[in-house]
Amino acid sequence: MMRISSNTIFDSNVAALNQQQTRLLQTQQQIASGRRLLTASDDPVAATRALEISQADATNTQYASNRDSARNTLSLAESTLQAVTSLILDARDATIAAGNGSLNSSGRKAIATDMTARLQELTGLANSTDGLGNYLFSGFQSRTKPFVDTTAGMGFFGDDGQNLVQVAASRQMASSDSGADVFMRIKNGNGTFATQAAAPNTGTGVISSGSVANPAALVAGNSYTVSFSVAAGVTSYTVTGAPTALAPAMAGIPYVSGQAISFDGMQIDIKGAPANGDSFTVAPSANESVFKTISDLIDALNAPVVGANLTNSLGHGLHQLDNALNNVLTTRATLGLRLNELDALQIAGENMGLQFKQTLSKLQDTDYNKAISDLTQQNMSLQAAQKSFVKATDLSLFNYI
Amino acid sequence: MADLFTSALSGMNAAQLGVATTQHNIANASTPGFTRQQILVSSRAGQQTGAGFVGQGVDVTGVIRIYDQFLNTQVLQEQNQASYLTAYHSAIAQVDLLIADPDAGAAPAMQSFFDAMNAVATSPTSTTARAALLSSAQIAIDRFQAIDQSLTDMADGLTGQITGSVNTVNSYAQQIAVLNGSIKRAIASGQGQQPNDLIDQRDQAISQLNQEVKTTVLRQADGTASVFIGNGQALVLDEQAMRLQVIQSANDPSKVDIAYLNNGRTVVLQQSSLQGGKMGAYLTFRDQTLEPARNALGRVALGMAVSINQQNQLGQEPPPTGALGGNLFNEAAPRVDQNANNNPASGKPSVTIANLAGLTTSDYRLTFNGAGYTLLRLSDNTTTNYANLPQTVDGMTITAPAPVTAGDSFLIRPTANGARDIALVTNDPNKIAAAAPIRTATVANTGTGTISSGTVNAPPPPHANLQDTVTITFDTPTTYTVAGAVPPVVGAQAYVSGQSISYNGWTVQITGTRAVNDEFTIESNIGGTDGRNALLLAGLQTQTLMANGTASLQGVYGQLVGEVAVKTSELAVTSLAQDNMVAQTIAAQQAVSGVNLDEEAANLIRYQNAYQAAAKAMQIAQTMFDAILAINP
Repeated sequence: MMRISSNTIFDSNVAALNQQQTRLLQTQQQIASGRRLLTASDDPVAATRALEISQADATNTQYASNRDSARNTLSLAESTLQAVTSLILDARDATIAAGNGSLNSSGRKAIATDMTARLQELTGLANSTDGLGNYLFSGFQSRTKPFVDTTAGMGFFGDDGQNLVQVAASRQMASSDSGADVFMRIKNGNGTFATQAAAPNTGTGVISSGSVANPAALVAGNSYTVSFSVAAGVTSYTVTGAPTALAPAMAGIPYVSGQAISFDGMQIDIKGAPANGDSFTVAPSANESVFKTISDLIDALNAPVVGANLTNSLGHGLHQLDNALNNVLTTRATLGLRLNELDALQIAGENMGLQFKQTLSKLQDTDYNKAISDLTQQNMSLQAAQKSFVKATDLSLFNYI
Repeated sequence: MADLFTSALSGMNAAQLGVATTQHNIANASTPGFTRQQILVSSRAGQQTGAGFVGQGVDVTGVIRIYDQFLNTQVLQEQNQASYLTAYHSAIAQVDLLIADPDAGAAPAMQSFFDAMNAVATSPTSTTARAALLSSAQIAIDRFQAIDQSLTDMADGLTGQITGSVNTVNSYAQQIAVLNGSIKRAIASGQGQQPNDLIDQRDQAISQLNQEVKTTVLRQADGTASVFIGNGQALVLDEQAMRLQVIQSANDPSKVDIAYLNNGRTVVLQQSSLQGGKMGAYLTFRDQTLEPARNALGRVALGMAVSINQQNQLGQEPPPTGALGGNLFNEAAPRVDQNANNNPASGKPSVTIANLAGLTTSDYRLTFNGAGYTLLRLSDNTTTNYANLPQTVDGMTITAPAPVTAGDSFLIRPTANGARDIALVTNDPNKIAAAAPIRTATVANTGTGTISSGTVNAPPPPHANLQDTVTITFDTPTTYTVAGAVPPVVGAQAYVSGQSISYNGWTVQITGTRAVNDEFTIESNIGGTDGRNALLLAGLQTQTLMANGTASLQGVYGQLVGEVAVKTSELAVTSLAQDNMVAQTIAAQQAVSGVNLDEEAANLIRYQNAYQAAAKAMQIAQTMFDAILAINP
């Protein structure tokens, strides 16, 4: 038979009451704070996991704000380039209108004045800022005005840098485009070579922009001159290449208006009646800025018409405006793709954030159903322990003697 | 006839002693350490008569304690373990609360810092974003320092607690020694009767002492108890108590050791010999939780300071200075302490941080034996021998002390001050080198080749000619010449698209079709206001820079939180279990030695009845005697 010391009855009951009260308090705190994990040691695995997930969640939130910032800059660039597109289209319409043979010089001058205003507007657009004083198209030098008129034409003072923004854990997106790529580096001609009528031409010969007939036969870096001679009413032409001479040589070939002239894999045609001594050049495509294209057009419109010079200049300018338009549209397309990607990343990021929050909530938030049921149960057993304690300690033989 | 009186009187006496002992038990029912007492009675030998042996009453031969030595020893052991676990648990729970708090821990502060860095990367020209970054850096620093300060305060508090524990031990040792004397003399004068209550008091003192430090008790024939601690150091022998003392540690002036005073000699007790009890808990907590936690926190802070500084040095400050970046944070130097017993003329080894990945949270002891050095990693007791220094080990470079004497030893704590000494070295938002110092350009090329924007090679400092203009010219589509590189590059270099090209401390890649005479330039980004370097700075958050490239900064902080949490949870569970164990052993011990009031009540009635019966017997004897006297002859 086990003897029980009177002290043990008190001690063990007090210990049991203490333990029950501790548990009750813990549950009560879980309910009051809404947190299942009051300290990390309540569930070390869950707590460490919660720490990692809340970091991932915070990083994800940061990426969302990075995306907002990138979206702002990209949308701003997109709307600027939209304005540039319509401006180039306007300039293109004006150029076509200027080609109308019925216009006199004052009519052309009016168009030139209009184009001058367009050019200024274009410069303004190219120098757009993001509202915080950062130029959109100056690359890394966001505080340097990128496009400034110089004696040598429009100068670019930014750089090729594309600012990157961390838009997702493993994706850095360019939030800007170099102004040089958008406005300056526009290949003239057809992208491989550019044709041009020489300035002093007096005839009505108009050269086409040409095309590449045989890419394999192209001689990189070579320039060509097509020069005309008119002898005894017969127009013939000679093609010379530099620095690599043409082989076989093309000299004294009779000219037929509109007939294809082919050499070194290229094909051009000249229409009209070139005068004796007129010449046309075919050179590898070089970069021409949209500013130069428009200002060249303005110069051509302001100059007196000699022979086909206006037609040639307008033809060249029109072609070049198309190139510029293509260039801007290409950039806008990449902007659109990036904005689309941002939207996709945004959805993915939001889903991930939701996932993080759910996991986090599972790990560290109180399950109220369970907690309240626990509380009721613990409350009941504490009350039972208290009542039974009183009953057990009330029993004493001393009550009867 | 007189025998009747004697016999009745002995019964009354015995019952009276029984009541007295019962009352003593009742009075001491809740006295700590009290063991219930009983009278030992035996019947007197009978007187031989013609009718046989007639009983002569009862004798009380002694008052004994009801006591089980085995159960008592078990209670001592369990209580020692319980007080160790409880003290350890309540100490570590503070650390657990401190570092894992979702609002006040270092994790959210580091997160805000990197968020702010991301904001700078996105808007490098925004002064507001830069100022916000500095302010969040300051908040992170404050957080590191506050946690470190709390840990240091705990360590200081522990020194007080250890001193208190040593004083308690000394005081109980003194009490035991005094009680030993009293007990010895009481036994001698009581002709072998045990002084029960003195023995209870001494056992209670031993039990209290045992909650401070683990003891071994030997009971001697003369009634005294010898108490030993540690590896058999006598604390109490007979009537003599030895003293423990708190002294400054020879290895580490910031810590205390416990020493044993014996005949004027001071012997430092090894921590391993002082296990169990509160004292063991304090020492274990200090050496195995608090210091590693401080080191781990220091490692996180140091990792942040060093990695941010290094990357900032690879960047460029915004205009107008456009200078190469410098340090943003103060990097804490490893702490080196000389052993107090070193030759006073000896120097200290100089220790510098060599790489973050190798750093551990351990402390190290470097000893010189006259011919070479031995480095002991204290966390796992790994030793490495070196014939000479400097050596780079575990992310630190140790340079030999000069002069050095054989037998010198040094305590090296690489990251201990990491969190305490982290600070911002600048308040200038423009010192954040958000831009990269170089940029690349292609202007008049006819090919479609593109060049990457270029990266600066780690580690800092950057190449002296980093920002010189270098031109890469393709003389054929597959070979290039380089102008401006230091040292100069002679001759054509073969090129493979996308391959890294590295000169003057930068690296670029060129991809796409290159035409003859295409030129790519790498030049100074002076005036640049991009956020390329800030992007790299922000990227440090997720890089596994620490723990041999296995964990990020926040990862190693998470490890610290996890380790402390696991230990705390383990202690919470084991200390609760141990408390229950103690309760059970005490219940078992009390079942033998404790007072049951019902039993005592029954005994009171029993002795009262016995007394009344004996008195009645006396009365009957009296009546019988009177009857004889009344006979009138």
